[in-house]
Amino acid sequence: MSDPLLSISDLRVEFDTYGGIVQAVRGVSFDVQAGQTTAIVGESGCGKSVTVQSVMGLIPSPPGRITSGRAMLRGTNILGAKTINGQDIRGDQIGMIFQDPMTSLNPTMNIGSQIAETLIVHRGYGKSRAFQRAIELLEMSKIPEAEKRARQYPFEFSGGMLQRAMIAMAIACEPDILIADEPTTALDVTIQAQILDLLGDLQRERGMAIILITHDLGVVARMADEVLVMYAGQIVEQGSVDQIFYHSAHPYTLGLRAAMPTNDPSGSKRLSPIDGSPPDLFNPPPGCGYCPRCPQAMKICAGEPPPVIALDQGQSARCWLHHPDNPAAAKPNQAPTGQPGAMDE
Amino acid sequence: MLQYTVKRLILGIITVWFIATATFFGMHAVPGDPLTTDKALSPTIRKNLEEKYGLDKPLVTQYGIYLANLARGDFGISFTQENREVNDIIAEHFPVSATLGILAVIFAAVGGVLWGALTALYRNRLPDTIIMFLVILGISVPSFVVAALGQLSLVNLNQITGTSILPVGGWGTVWHMIVPSLVLGLSTMAYLTRLMRSSMLEIVNADFVRTAKAKGVPATQIFSRHQLRNAILPVITVLGPQIAIITTGGFVVEIIFAIPGLGRYFVQAVQQLDYTVIMGTTVFYGAFLVFMVILVDLIYGLIDPRVRLE
Repeated sequence: MSDPLLSISDLRVEFDTYGGIVQAVRGVSFDVQAGQTTAIVGESGCGKSVTVQSVMGLIPSPPGRITSGRAMLRGTNILGAKTINGQDIRGDQIGMIFQDPMTSLNPTMNIGSQIAETLIVHRGYGKSRAFQRAIELLEMSKIPEAEKRARQYPFEFSGGMLQRAMIAMAIACEPDILIADEPTTALDVTIQAQILDLLGDLQRERGMAIILITHDLGVVARMADEVLVMYAGQIVEQGSVDQIFYHSAHPYTLGLRAAMPTNDPSGSKRLSPIDGSPPDLFNPPPGCGYCPRCPQAMKICAGEPPPVIALDQGQSARCWLHHPDNPAAAKPNQAPTGQPGAMDE
Repeated sequence: MLQYTVKRLILGIITVWFIATATFFGMHAVPGDPLTTDKALSPTIRKNLEEKYGLDKPLVTQYGIYLANLARGDFGISFTQENREVNDIIAEHFPVSATLGILAVIFAAVGGVLWGALTALYRNRLPDTIIMFLVILGISVPSFVVAALGQLSLVNLNQITGTSILPVGGWGTVWHMIVPSLVLGLSTMAYLTRLMRSSMLEIVNADFVRTAKAKGVPATQIFSRHQLRNAILPVITVLGPQIAIITTGGFVVEIIFAIPGLGRYFVQAVQQLDYTVIMGTTVFYGAFLVFMVILVDLIYGLIDPRVRLE
């Protein structure tokens, strides 16, 4: 593989709270390739958002603290930095869109000006030129009557339209990376599909990389090239989208897939949830975080943290099951227990 | 927007009519009348005077006459002051009260917004603690105490320096206006500071502020364009009623600083049951306040697009 566009290594983030120090992210490393979509999946509180927010420098400090790690963008560490060689990072080389478009835009500023602001800040455009460009960007984001819409305020837009406007804002400076933090969670299903299509189209047109955070495996199957599965502040499995869905290696990934609802019209199939709850990140367990909930847990899992074990073709899992010393680890790419059809939306 | 303004103005006129009616009947319900003085009038003189001023007519008829005069903008002639029309009293003394009140409102609004934003940005640090302590003082100490203390410190200051830095009382130059308007606006400023602080704290972590950060907007611009403008909305909402509090609070401050404003006439008129002056000042003040509240609402519409269309 070529050199990655963005390479994150050993990222650790802590938060001071009244209850003590929460270790939200505990040593996350991954690469993002140019033009590809990297999806980060996992349940709420597993550290997905904190990971990308630290890359964007959006961790509120205090109480947040990045205790270690590097994020190399084309070979330069951008953690804690604002610029590379005089070029701004936030909003310029990396754009970001958020979960709730209804509250993520300034209610007292019109849409066009909010998009134009990015261009004024990073490109030094004049007001009217930036506004003209904002209208073009809205058109690119497939908002009808963009000229009129640019002069309207967020309360005059629907949720889906606002997310399009957010996308227009994030791509204004033609960033190399677009971070989408649960971009469709707050939207209804038909709008979700439109937004995902738009993201896909823009990615093809501009060749930008997308880091997509979601807890919707349907979205992952549709969008992702690479998938990272996060649990309790760590990446427990990573691989291509096919590997993750058809050759899941980590029991947590298997659990997530089994928990997906199906389209079975008879309704005879019950959802199979993952029992238990994630570990307390105030006192992370000494062994594997998933151990108490894992149906395949072994003795070693409770006491010793599992290493990242490389499997075939770039896939890797943080699980003792795949350790060479485990006699059962002979076939790492064993067929999953769920049906392959479960990944369809 | 125009339709809304017209609608608000019509509603405002109805409000003023209601104030006039309530004051009129309330005033007449008070025992005695302007002719009740220390010296007893003989029944004949009293009857003649009542006839001259129309006080012998049924109350409803008097009300009708009053409203008709009011509609023509005629507040009548004072009962107790020689040969003075209420219109003249207002024209002469209201500008003084208005200047004092407006200065106090500006001082309170600007100060409240700035201090509030500052305390929010320095939350739980030393500037926040100091300012919030002063704010509690400002809210809890009544204006006549602050006025007296202000005057006392002015006297001391002038004595120590040996020159008259700021005048202790009276009216005339800009220097006369500073201390009274600061005193008058102080408690409102303290209240607005608290309000601004809490609304700013809400905004500091708002989603759209995070968006602005993700766009790479510099902190000063985030503060001025995104945080301040949204945090200021609740402050503007309460500004209308606060203007009422400041202008009525002005009566006390005017008396302490010997300022020839309308407040003195208002208080005197109530004591002497000077019907026309009571009515004139009340209705005029009422109309002024209603107008200010409408103005504040229109300004609110300019800042927050969400209320513009309704």
